Amino acid sequence: MKPCIAAMPSYTYVMKGEKLLRARGISCEIKRNEKIAENGCGYSLYISGSCEYAEKILKNYSIPVTITPYGGV
Amino acid sequence: MLINFDNAATTYPKPNSVKAAVSRAIGQFGGNAGRGGHELAMRTSEAVFEARETAASFFGAQPENTVFTLNCTHALNLAIQGVMADGGHLIISHLEHNSSARPAVRMALDGKIKLSIAEVSEDDDETVENFRSLICSDTKAIVCTAASNVTGQILPIRRIAELCSKRGICFIVDGAQACGIIRLKLSDGINILCTAGHKGLYGITGTGLLISDGKFPIRPIIQGGTGSASSSLKQPDFLPDSLESGTMNVIGAISVKEGIDFINRIGMDRIRSHEERICRRFIKELSSDKRIKIYRSPYCSYVPIVSFCIDGYLPEQVSEYLSKNGYCLRAGYHCAALAHAQLGTENGTVRFAPSVFSRESDAVALANKIKNISATEKSSKNY
Repeated sequence: MKPCIAAMPSYTYVMKGEKLLRARGISCEIKRNEKIAENGCGYSLYISGSCEYAEKILKNYSIPVTITPYGGV
Repeated sequence: MLINFDNAATTYPKPNSVKAAVSRAIGQFGGNAGRGGHELAMRTSEAVFEARETAASFFGAQPENTVFTLNCTHALNLAIQGVMADGGHLIISHLEHNSSARPAVRMALDGKIKLSIAEVSEDDDETVENFRSLICSDTKAIVCTAASNVTGQILPIRRIAELCSKRGICFIVDGAQACGIIRLKLSDGINILCTAGHKGLYGITGTGLLISDGKFPIRPIIQGGTGSASSSLKQPDFLPDSLESGTMNVIGAISVKEGIDFINRIGMDRIRSHEERICRRFIKELSSDKRIKIYRSPYCSYVPIVSFCIDGYLPEQVSEYLSKNGYCLRAGYHCAALAHAQLGTENGTVRFAPSVFSRESDAVALANKIKNISATEKSSKNY
């Protein structure tokens, strides 16, 4: 499982996303990097677990997310 | 000692838990929420998110659709001007606070929208029909208070919501006097709920909420830094950022969370029942004096607000007299110009509004003081 970065448009989504993922046992951490995604809020979730699963969860909750592999930016 | 019965304006005192949370917030959450990745900013952002989650859950909303505002007026302005930005027909009730009426009238006077005012009757069927009859093909939104801030009359929100949802009309509700007393949820058919944080929710002044179901776009009337999409010169188009430009009232948001937690601990039904009992007793005590007119009808339901006048006295005179005797009651028009024409209260009213902290014995003592004004007036105009 390769780690990835999930960029979202607002800090509120990032916080919500972190709670959703952690509640499902996916390890993640909020970090700030304004250049991660053009439409990102500057905060992103650094996900260590299954990124595919994490993306699915976030999208199921209508959270707009852009997934980038670590080192992809 | 001051005894506050002006809780419809803002609740006082605040719960100890709110006071403690405010003090804690000043000490611990001094960062700028949503800006910066350092420890202080992150800790503060988390606290704000928790506050947002609490408010969202209380009203059956999603945290991302829960916007912190400065007060209910701010929320209503954002909602009304934002939803009606491209014009159309707007209906408001005649019991609206100026916080709804003024932006609506301004937009109408500027030729940006068409505005109709629906009369609220003692009969809910008639009220709903009054709204229905004003709806036309161009009607974009209806703004209605959940409860009048002058008389406390509760409006048939769910039935008006039905009118709106069947026709794709945005239903904006002013919950300033109802939230914390009446269970209001977006699932009642409300598209945008606006409320104060400092009244029935027991937060500090300078707080309000705009809660959306996300179905109707709200064009921002204030633009600026949001901490998101910072390299773009365009205002973000998603909530809550689109409506939360500038540094937010972090301490206020935390106080609202704590206020909501306080309500949840006590139970909204218990709070309402306590305040209603005080109102009933207050009315009973006053009703023996025929010079006192109470603006209530047996055909209506009310939130715990009692408006009254004393024959021969200006409301402001009554309020001044009571203030000198340690009682805080608001007199005048209560920022609701449209309501007084129907009530026939050309000088306004005196408004009694208890809170969860009010005592029945204080209401009885107040009623005696009020009756004493009336009696004193019979012999002298100079109390």
